[in-house]
Amino acid sequence: MHMTRRPDADVASLLPLTPVVFEILLALGGGEQHGYAIMQDVAERTGGRIELHAGSLYRALSRLLEGGFIEELDERPAAAHDDQRRRYYRLTLLGTAVARAEAERLEAQLAVARERRLFRRHT
Amino acid sequence: MTRASLVLFRALLAAYPRRFRRRFAEAMEQSFREGYAHAATAGTAAALVFVVRACIDTGVNAVALRAVRLRDRVLWPDPIGLHQQKRTSDMWWQILVSDARYAFRMFRRNPVFAALAVVALGLGIGANTAIFTLVDSVLLRPLPYAHPDRLVMIWSSNEREHRDRDVVSPLDFMDFKRASAFSSVEAAYSFVIGGTWISKTGAEPITFTAVTSQLFETLGRAPILGRTFTPDDLQTGVLISYDFWQKRLGGDSAVLGVMPKDFIFPYRAMLGPSGFSSSLSVDMWFPLAFVDDNAFTRATATAPLSRQVRMLSVIARLADGHTREQASAELQGIARQIRGTHADTNGNIGVSIVPAHEQAVGSVRPALLLLVGGVGLVLLMSCINVANMLLARSTSRQRELAIRSALGAGRNRLIVQTLVESVLLGGLGGLMALAFLRLSVHGIVALAPPELPRLGEISPDMSVLLFAAALSVITGVATGLVPAFASSRGDVNSGLKQAGRSATSGRGQQRVRSALVILEAALAVVLTVSAGLLVRSFVSILSTDPGFQVEHLLTLQLTIPPKYNGTEQRRTMYADLEARLRAIPGVTDVGGTTRLPLGSTNVSTKINIEGRSVPPSQWPEAEFRRSVFDYFSTMGIPLRRGRLFTKQDGPNAPPVCVINETMARQMFAGIDPVGRRIKFGSADGPWVTIVGVIGDIRHSALDAPPQPEVYINYLVNPPSNPFIVLKTNADPASIVPAVRAQLQAVDKDIASNDIRPMTGVLSNSVAERRFILLLAVSFGVLSLLMAAVGVYGVMALVVSERAPEMAIRLALGASPSRVLQQVLQYGLVLAGAGAALGVAVSAVVAPSMRSLLFGVRPVDPFTFIAVPSLVVAVAVAACAGPAWRSMRVDPVRALRME
Repeated sequence: MHMTRRPDADVASLLPLTPVVFEILLALGGGEQHGYAIMQDVAERTGGRIELHAGSLYRALSRLLEGGFIEELDERPAAAHDDQRRRYYRLTLLGTAVARAEAERLEAQLAVARERRLFRRHT
Repeated sequence: MTRASLVLFRALLAAYPRRFRRRFAEAMEQSFREGYAHAATAGTAAALVFVVRACIDTGVNAVALRAVRLRDRVLWPDPIGLHQQKRTSDMWWQILVSDARYAFRMFRRNPVFAALAVVALGLGIGANTAIFTLVDSVLLRPLPYAHPDRLVMIWSSNEREHRDRDVVSPLDFMDFKRASAFSSVEAAYSFVIGGTWISKTGAEPITFTAVTSQLFETLGRAPILGRTFTPDDLQTGVLISYDFWQKRLGGDSAVLGVMPKDFIFPYRAMLGPSGFSSSLSVDMWFPLAFVDDNAFTRATATAPLSRQVRMLSVIARLADGHTREQASAELQGIARQIRGTHADTNGNIGVSIVPAHEQAVGSVRPALLLLVGGVGLVLLMSCINVANMLLARSTSRQRELAIRSALGAGRNRLIVQTLVESVLLGGLGGLMALAFLRLSVHGIVALAPPELPRLGEISPDMSVLLFAAALSVITGVATGLVPAFASSRGDVNSGLKQAGRSATSGRGQQRVRSALVILEAALAVVLTVSAGLLVRSFVSILSTDPGFQVEHLLTLQLTIPPKYNGTEQRRTMYADLEARLRAIPGVTDVGGTTRLPLGSTNVSTKINIEGRSVPPSQWPEAEFRRSVFDYFSTMGIPLRRGRLFTKQDGPNAPPVCVINETMARQMFAGIDPVGRRIKFGSADGPWVTIVGVIGDIRHSALDAPPQPEVYINYLVNPPSNPFIVLKTNADPASIVPAVRAQLQAVDKDIASNDIRPMTGVLSNSVAERRFILLLAVSFGVLSLLMAAVGVYGVMALVVSERAPEMAIRLALGASPSRVLQQVLQYGLVLAGAGAALGVAVSAVVAPSMRSLLFGVRPVDPFTFIAVPSLVVAVAVAACAGPAWRSMRVDPVRALRME
């Protein structure tokens, strides 16, 4: 059921990502995380605009797992202080590639916006 | 963390698909806890907001996940989905069709099994559909009036005598009309009057009653010809019922206005043959005229404006925007006012309000619900039996299932296959049930007592069809569930291995089948105990002494034509009548009364006892009747004190009366009533001397305790609607022609009806009980049969599966009787366990039947011991066949088959 796809699969065909998925990938971009930490990270970075709850988060995680974008850690970090019920996730190569591709796609859009003066930014 | 929010969250988690739940539920719950803890630091409100959001989110995603799976897997498998699933190309209906085809192939291969299953389920579904038709027509369907839910009956209540549905006095009725919570308040006589209809073929008895002019408008029924009453119709117009118009007048529309005296128009039988007040289903309705109390002359269709005489049934329609509670409160206020201003007559009279539907069917509801419960259990038992058959067959199909499973059929697929098969069986059973529905409903209607409310309305309609369809599917699924899961659980490996040998079912399956048999025995006990309690009640009712001799009595009711309007004329006629009846060969005694026990209504009067200073509102009540000819000796009612009436107790003699024992006990406790004087009703009548006390009789029903009764002699004022009873020394039916001939000889205009032996009257009075009993007993017998079949099936299978084992034991020298004993023991254990369970359930259920029981406690020791013993005996008897076979296993053959 959980197929891990090669990173050289046609990543472009998976774009654009939904904001929620992209945020989750971004959260995991900083290293492995458990579910609640992902929620907090996303909530903090987006200033509460994207507030994930258990249902949405785990449905998204389940899809990302199925798509081979992320994987679950077998071993747990700092086992001594950890809650057994937590599950930790990290990006796969494919996940990293997809996140990067999405970031590049956004950057390209951003560049166009900048060029057309739709985007004010102190450079 | 509040417990409630966690429970809620967990409940929502349960909605997720199982695989998802297994994988993520713990982690989800953990993140919920952490999120809650975090939110709680910001205060209770924030925590609450968090819980609400988290729960909504969790619920929505569960639905979304399910929906996607449904779409992907069943409804519309995505042909270009990333993950190829096993049946990408199969649409769900293709799967069903192929499963159905497969099931039909199986039926063809094993037609006996299929036929048995269809018949078993068909019987269950059919019985349920027929009973549902009855319940639907009587209890569920609204009454045939406009907005029937807005119709109510208004009754007077008498708190001191614990009667909450007393008929209403005309003046109270006038006061109730003031209530603003009703758009209209109408009334009818609370009784039916017998009359005579002179047709070309002779005098025929008819029934009529009187109603206020707007009654039919209030009910919302329009005439099919002519019009309804206007105030001008008083004493001049009459409405006739549709049935009367069709049957007696041939449906001729020329009857309008040309009928003998003041006949206006035919009116549709607006109440049907079973309206919500039996006094409204009559041949004719007269407009009710209210007359001055003092001018009350007993003219037909009048009511005296008095508070003493209670004679009206009051029907009202709630005004728009008013609830029944408001209406009731307003009426209570009016009743309080009347109590205040008329303490003498209304001192303890209140008012009660009853929805019309409740009034019509309330009395039969417990009995019908009992039938629904019983017939439902019967269906459950047919499901169990068919489930057991399916299980047994799945054992022999284990090899096939194992092969299918090995070839890649998933567990779900096998479950669906079994369910499709059982639903098909249920559907075929349903078709069979519908084919016989008309017949079974006819049967029920034919068996039903004529007094059953709304009897004439019993017929299947759309809702019955829907019910049957739904029930067939539910039955099919219920039948298939256990076999589907049980048979799909077996693992392929052992299935293939086992199937190589002669098929034996796994331990798990055997346990399931045994459990089903235990359940079946328990259900049989519950059903049979209920039936047993009803039988015991019925027996104790029939053995109740009615207080009079039932055998060798012929009864009939006469209607004396109005031409005998003087009491002297009637006395002469009565004398002639008595002489002629006495002269009939075979007649040994002649009597009569105004109210026949077990066969007529009641009329009661207030009793004013001489020498007691009690205000009229506190006067006790007694049922009032006249004795005609030698009534007491004809009926065999014993004299306890004093004397009976004689021919000298006529209009010119001092007024006398005879009372019954109950009245003597209740009103003259400790003193001899003979010689004391009483007055009836109003204060200004003559004093009447009590000359005798007679034994009690059961008047309204065998199971109703005797009420105080007072009799006066007919000679004072001979009644115009007497019941006549004839004591015979032969079969009462044999003298009917002679009786008719003598009546003709007295006067051809005297109409007689209801000629029947007293035994018929008595049997009719228990007809409703007998009907319920008959159905309950047939459910009980059916359940015993089903239990026997179930036990037989399981034991037969056990024996055939264990034949090799038994063969070995027999070969090794075990005695056949020991083998037999073991098989019987197994059956006994199953039946015993079921019986014990059934007894426990019955003990809980039986008290709810209390209103249907008479002379027997709900937990009746006799029934609770006899019935389970019977069930165990039947079960053991069902084991006998298989047990016998087990003893005769041929070791050589059985072992060779291995």
